[in-house]
Amino acid sequence: MLAFIIRRIVWTIPVILLVILMTFLMMRLIKGNPFQVTDRPVPPSIQRNLDRKFHLDKPWWEQYLYYVRDVGRFDLGPSLVQRNQDVNDVIKEHFPTSIKLGLMAMGFAIVIGVPLGVFAALRHNTVLDYTAMGLANLGFAVPSFLVATLLIYFFALRLKDYTGLPTNGWNGPSSWVLPVIALGIYPMTYFARLVRGTVLETLQQDYIRTAKAKGLRWRFVVGKHVLRNSLIPVVTAAGPVLGGLITGSFIVETIFGIPGIGRYYVTAVTGRDYSVVMGITVLLSVIIIVANLVVDILYGYLDPRIRDERA
Amino acid sequence: MRKSKRWAWWAGAAALIAITVAGSAIGATGAKTQVLRESIGAEPPSLDPGLATDTTSANIILNIMEPLVKLGPAPALKALPAAASSWSVKGKVVNLKLNPAVRWTNGQPVTSADYVWSWLRTISPELGADYAYQFYGIQGAEAYNGCDPGKANCNALKNKVGIKAVGKYGLRVTLTSPQPWFIQQLSHHSFLPVNKATVTKYGNKWTEPQNIVTDGPFKLSAWKHDASLTLVKNTKWRNASSVKLDRIQLSIITDASTALNAFKAGNIDVDSTGLNPVDVKDLKKTAFLKTYKALGTYYYGFNVKNISDVNQRRAMSFAVDRKAITKYITQLGQVPARGFTPPGIAGGPTILKNAFNPPTHQTAKAKAYMALVKNPKKDIHLYINNSPGHINIATAVQAFWKELGLNVQIKVQEWKQYLEFLGPPPNSDVDVYRLGWIYDYPDAQNGLVLWTCGSGNNNTNWCNKKYDALIAKANNTPNANARYLLYQQAEDLISGPKGDMPLMPIYWYTYTNLQHQNVKGYTINPMDQTTYSAVSIG
Repeated sequence: MLAFIIRRIVWTIPVILLVILMTFLMMRLIKGNPFQVTDRPVPPSIQRNLDRKFHLDKPWWEQYLYYVRDVGRFDLGPSLVQRNQDVNDVIKEHFPTSIKLGLMAMGFAIVIGVPLGVFAALRHNTVLDYTAMGLANLGFAVPSFLVATLLIYFFALRLKDYTGLPTNGWNGPSSWVLPVIALGIYPMTYFARLVRGTVLETLQQDYIRTAKAKGLRWRFVVGKHVLRNSLIPVVTAAGPVLGGLITGSFIVETIFGIPGIGRYYVTAVTGRDYSVVMGITVLLSVIIIVANLVVDILYGYLDPRIRDERA
Repeated sequence: MRKSKRWAWWAGAAALIAITVAGSAIGATGAKTQVLRESIGAEPPSLDPGLATDTTSANIILNIMEPLVKLGPAPALKALPAAASSWSVKGKVVNLKLNPAVRWTNGQPVTSADYVWSWLRTISPELGADYAYQFYGIQGAEAYNGCDPGKANCNALKNKVGIKAVGKYGLRVTLTSPQPWFIQQLSHHSFLPVNKATVTKYGNKWTEPQNIVTDGPFKLSAWKHDASLTLVKNTKWRNASSVKLDRIQLSIITDASTALNAFKAGNIDVDSTGLNPVDVKDLKKTAFLKTYKALGTYYYGFNVKNISDVNQRRAMSFAVDRKAITKYITQLGQVPARGFTPPGIAGGPTILKNAFNPPTHQTAKAKAYMALVKNPKKDIHLYINNSPGHINIATAVQAFWKELGLNVQIKVQEWKQYLEFLGPPPNSDVDVYRLGWIYDYPDAQNGLVLWTCGSGNNNTNWCNKKYDALIAKANNTPNANARYLLYQQAEDLISGPKGDMPLMPIYWYTYTNLQHQNVKGYTINPMDQTTYSAVSIG
């Protein structure tokens, strides 16, 4: 297992370098001047000053090497658009917000989605099953910007005297409720459907029939045998889902006015803020790689067959 | 009266007096704190006057710092003394006297040395200031800004820049030529001073609230990046007694629907985020929607190489119903534009005297012009950047031009790619393009100079030496009325009946926001500036 982990960590380095290179080239290909914000073009002499200041006058491969060297020193460079901020500052300030929002949304998705899926599977082909899955499908189909706007309209505006929930911002527990629900609904429905499927499959297995035949209580059979084996695919799916949630949801952050990394990322792309885009891409890559690694380790722990294979 | 009763009477009276006095004291000190809660649509990219280029940053900067001059009420927008108590202009030499009562928030006086250091900093090639070009009207500034420090000694050029301190509170500026608009231009945020010690000590981080040193009616007390800013009253400002607001809470809400919901819920007093076009119709029925005239023009430019016949360009302009566009599409009090220069600018009515782009569509005249065109360009590629408002206007214009037998393809591009595509020179596929111009300072020169041959804003391929000569002559004409007549001739070449019509203006801009009725004194001037020291709540 240790060898497996070390191997995975070592592989992270070339993956990150490749991600940097591809992002770097893509950003250059889409063209656009990071320093021109309005219709006013930047006068040529000022453009030269800016290119010189941010090393954009160098050949692309030299810029790439400068960047990789600085990443090695954990210096992600200055923002080209937010002229008084460095990328490190941007990440330090906004990333914790996205982590918090992402983790809470994940918690919401698991706490609601997993029991919903188990319940639907145990009441397979009944009204309860159809209702649960109908709601899950609705949640899956409705886009998050619509969910977010509707939540604000009903709970923060029309019913504000009863709920006391704010329309926007990220200041304290009352402002967490609606964004967490808006962000968590989609993964919640995904988990509900996934868990329902895996539980139904597990219920068909011989060892479940054996456990029932041995006279074990049904609650015990579900809790110990069914859940443990059904949740393995959920753990596998949870890694990328968590990575995606933590890296921020642009839409939810924009609508609720949450100062997270997702909103910053998309603004940086449209603004051609190369260093912010590169820096956040590196961060996202590391998170997704770590999330997948954690999932793989957990998977090995949960499924002894995988553990033996790796040993 | 029995003794005990008498004592009780006196005790009661004393208690009553005490309560009354205490109550008055509490009443006096418990006056309601004046807090303005406003939404803004974006994080200010920088609060450094040398680096800020957008209006969100500029508006905050101009309220935490004090410019040399402030602009008086519209339409004159006369330059009024602020940090400069007086000035004199003799040809290309401008002498300003600073008000010695202006102080930094650390108590030190703001001196002419501060201005010299700050302006040279903004002009320096090392800072990479986008708005260094605002200083190009000053002798030696352009040369210093264009110097490459890696290849030459720029200090020699720095010493030749025409900005000098004369004593502690005197500032002498030598311009490249007489520029009648220069004093008004000093109201722009680029000309604000910065505190040298603070900038030197904290570098890039000098604008953080724990470091920043300013000299205006408000102070930056908190800045949660991408979330909110808090400004508090600077009680040590020289005119602090006239400022009613104690605090301004600016929330960064980028989504227009969220900002509107926050406004309706009473969580904000002013919504300056912007409005969704679909919400405008209902909001116009309320008293919340406020519109203010702006100095800016929304226009379509022609690629005169592709649409080479001026009669076709005139036909296309006459076919457009500007009134319908402003009434049914934009709906925010915009004014159909008959010329490029907005009428609210000094000399506007004179300059626009012969401008003849019609407010409503004149189909017969348009067709008559079209009939004069020998080889009309029938397939038109209209380029716009991606935004619902621009798409709606382009769709309407496409229908208007169809009446002339023109097949219009609307090509939508992402903003940054669009700007690259337009050049100048524009990509050869561009026949017509959409842009807007918001004035840097309230002088017609700022807009008319766009259409000179070498202008980086002239995406039309139009180059008329006579036009350039008129602009150059006007630059050297100190008499205002004589200058307006020269601008009139220049405007005629763009928008007059005998002009070349390289562009067709559509409307003159307005600024809009939503305000609750408890907000008093909040206005937006034609330069998109709000003076918070004039605002109160209640």
